[in-house]
Amino acid sequence: MPDPGMSLLIFAVIAGICAWLFWPQGGQFWRWQQMRRLTTRVQHEDALKHIYRHQQHHRFATVSSLAGALQLNADAVTALLGDMVSHQLVTMDGDALRLTPRGQSYALHIIRAHRLYERYLAEETGFAESEWHGRAEQQEHYLSPEEADALALQLGNPTHDPHGDPIPTTSGALTPHGGVPLTALDTEMPACIVHLEDEPETVYAQLVAEDIHPGMEVRLLESTPQRVRFWCDGDEHLLAPVVAANISVRPLTQPSALDGVAGERLSSLQPGESGVVLGLTPACRGSERRRFMDLGILPGASIHAEMRSPGGDPTAYRIRDTLIALRREQADRIRIARAAPGSLDNRTELSSEQMGEMYEPAL
Amino acid sequence: MNQVSTISPNDILTTAEQWRWQIGHTFHEQLMETIYTEAAEIADAAVTRPDSRPRFDLDRTIDRLVTSRLWGFPMMVLLFTLVFWITIAGANIPSGWLSQLLIDTAHPWLKSGAAAIGMPWWLSGLLLDGMYLATAWVVSVMLPPMAIFFPLFTLLEDFGYLPRVAFNLDNVFRKAGAHGKQALSMMMGFGCNAAGVVATRVIDSPRERLIAIITNNFALCNGRWPTQILIATLFIGGLVPAYLAGLVSALAVVGIAMLGVLFTFGVSWALSRTMLQGEVSTFSLELPPYRPPRILQTIYTSLIDRTIYVLWRAVVFALPAGAVIWLVANIQVGGSSVAEYLINVLNPIGVLVGLNGVILLAYVVAIPANEIVIPTVLMLTVLVTGAHHVGAGAGVMFEMQSEAGMITLFQNGGWTLLTAVNLMLFSLLHNPCSTTIYTIYKETGSAKWTAVAALLPVVIGFVVTFVVAQVWRLVAG
Repeated sequence: MPDPGMSLLIFAVIAGICAWLFWPQGGQFWRWQQMRRLTTRVQHEDALKHIYRHQQHHRFATVSSLAGALQLNADAVTALLGDMVSHQLVTMDGDALRLTPRGQSYALHIIRAHRLYERYLAEETGFAESEWHGRAEQQEHYLSPEEADALALQLGNPTHDPHGDPIPTTSGALTPHGGVPLTALDTEMPACIVHLEDEPETVYAQLVAEDIHPGMEVRLLESTPQRVRFWCDGDEHLLAPVVAANISVRPLTQPSALDGVAGERLSSLQPGESGVVLGLTPACRGSERRRFMDLGILPGASIHAEMRSPGGDPTAYRIRDTLIALRREQADRIRIARAAPGSLDNRTELSSEQMGEMYEPAL
Repeated sequence: MNQVSTISPNDILTTAEQWRWQIGHTFHEQLMETIYTEAAEIADAAVTRPDSRPRFDLDRTIDRLVTSRLWGFPMMVLLFTLVFWITIAGANIPSGWLSQLLIDTAHPWLKSGAAAIGMPWWLSGLLLDGMYLATAWVVSVMLPPMAIFFPLFTLLEDFGYLPRVAFNLDNVFRKAGAHGKQALSMMMGFGCNAAGVVATRVIDSPRERLIAIITNNFALCNGRWPTQILIATLFIGGLVPAYLAGLVSALAVVGIAMLGVLFTFGVSWALSRTMLQGEVSTFSLELPPYRPPRILQTIYTSLIDRTIYVLWRAVVFALPAGAVIWLVANIQVGGSSVAEYLINVLNPIGVLVGLNGVILLAYVVAIPANEIVIPTVLMLTVLVTGAHHVGAGAGVMFEMQSEAGMITLFQNGGWTLLTAVNLMLFSLLHNPCSTTIYTIYKETGSAKWTAVAALLPVVIGFVVTFVVAQVWRLVAG
């Protein structure tokens, strides 16, 4: 029989090596796999995206800006560009880099693949919102144009990614979202969020944490160099200007019925209280949204909090004469107007006209 | 006319494309929302409801009681203890009858019948000692508890109580990344893992359903309770004075079952954060109104849908297993049987994890049904130790009535307290039986998840028994 102490030691070493290799996210094996993916083709494609993005903003990418974006040294970038020029993807005009028509359509394919995949992650998988961009950054290099088309068809040919960026069509047509930064908006002007910039990651994570999504209504309350205070979808938010500038909005000609309504979330109802559903927040998407609609959680439906689990979560709500239990994070995604206390028929003061206005598409 | 003819299909497509951009990306959802709202309005206009609710709402009163902070959990524990007690106590008697009938009476009768018509010994051995006996064993151990447990469970389900259990326990499961309804499939798993896997159909969220399927095997099933009880009585109960033996061995078995629950939560937590994080997760739990259970109908459907279904699959898998068990014990190669060769090969691994070759071989040949593990272990131990005064011959499974006789046999086979403890652990943490594996494949439709569900517990089992064995030997010297 082998010595028990020695066996335990060997086992601990093997377990340690396995953890070191395969630990989720940080494991060496995954890193090595990621390194292997950094082929020349991937570098080409990332460079094309970088140059394309600069051209969109009417600037020119330079060798040094590219070096910064790809995290390569100048020599490596020069070699990379030489290769790309010989493939007729890029032309060099002094220091300025320009895409050839061929390079342009290649870049658009990569962007199409990226945004379609983000949309796919948002609609059909359970990955956390903060992971979408990073995963799409990897997957964009592996989708052929045919696969991208198949994915688009599967998703119903979406026009925008979950951040509000337009998805280029197969012909490369692309209508920019046409929004202005939130900071450039006049105060008290009603507007609709059309786009959230997903880079840099830390800034985007902050927006996700604030539960801000494209499609929400905003009104700027105060904008100083130190802070930006604005009303968004029933809540007041306070952000640093550098963060707020990553929110693009389009002014609305007239405020909708919900403007300024202190929108409450279903989660704020205590057992015994009632409300009327105003709608689902944009954060509620994909199969969860469809499920809620199937259950009849739709604008105008009255909802009554019946009881809370002895564990503290979930809470059971009576909706359309059915008892449905929802967890707190789900109830957070349903907007309601609280019914006046004591009103037995569970109806609020929201008039039918106001309810009707809510269905007007926010164009 | 002129104007019409100048519009080409391409123009139409371009215009449509432009409009798509203008309509905005929430168009589909708004359309869907309006359709649903329209439908709701039509229904509201057409359906009249009584104006006021009855003063005394029975459903609400029951709900308040069974989900109250004070009474919710004690009632749950009480009710399930009762269900398990009825199952275990009630199954003993019919199990005894069945085993008397199928094994003690029918088996010798069939053997003598086979001898009378001049059937060769190897054919009657293979058919009667192997296939018939394995099947008879599975039926007599499996059928009575399932015929009691499933109808009881279905009655609670039919009454509307089980969704409230999921409601009460959801917060615990949420922290492990799972769904409250997993409490129900887990409970069902204590009866039978194959039925537990089928019961996960009530979980409509794909990620949580996979978690429930993969971890169902950690619920100690009906086929494994007898092993646990026997080993705990023989070895753990023997450590303490006789008047405490019953209590201590019962606590040991409950402890193993609780350990299984802990593993359910731990593995659920790990899975939801690694392998399964990309699967869609949507929670919703409907709490249907209470209704008086339809007793006869429930008993009938649960017998047909659950008991007979599971039993049939178990029988289908037990027949070849019985054949294999008889063959490995009877085919002789160079003076000793195949079983002895295999035991010698498996023995070093078995000893390393605190078990032995006999137990490992029994677990390999008894993949089709956990019920035949102990009879196989007994038969193989007799074969290895050469204690021919007990047992019924090579390849014939048997069970012993005398505890002292069994403990002597095990001690001759080299068993210690460590072997017993690790056997209990390994019985909890090993691959699901082939019926369950097949059911998992049917339910998930994926070879990948079936492989994960089959291999994950057995890997955990080897790691746990290994660590326990080494620490035990270090401490005990």
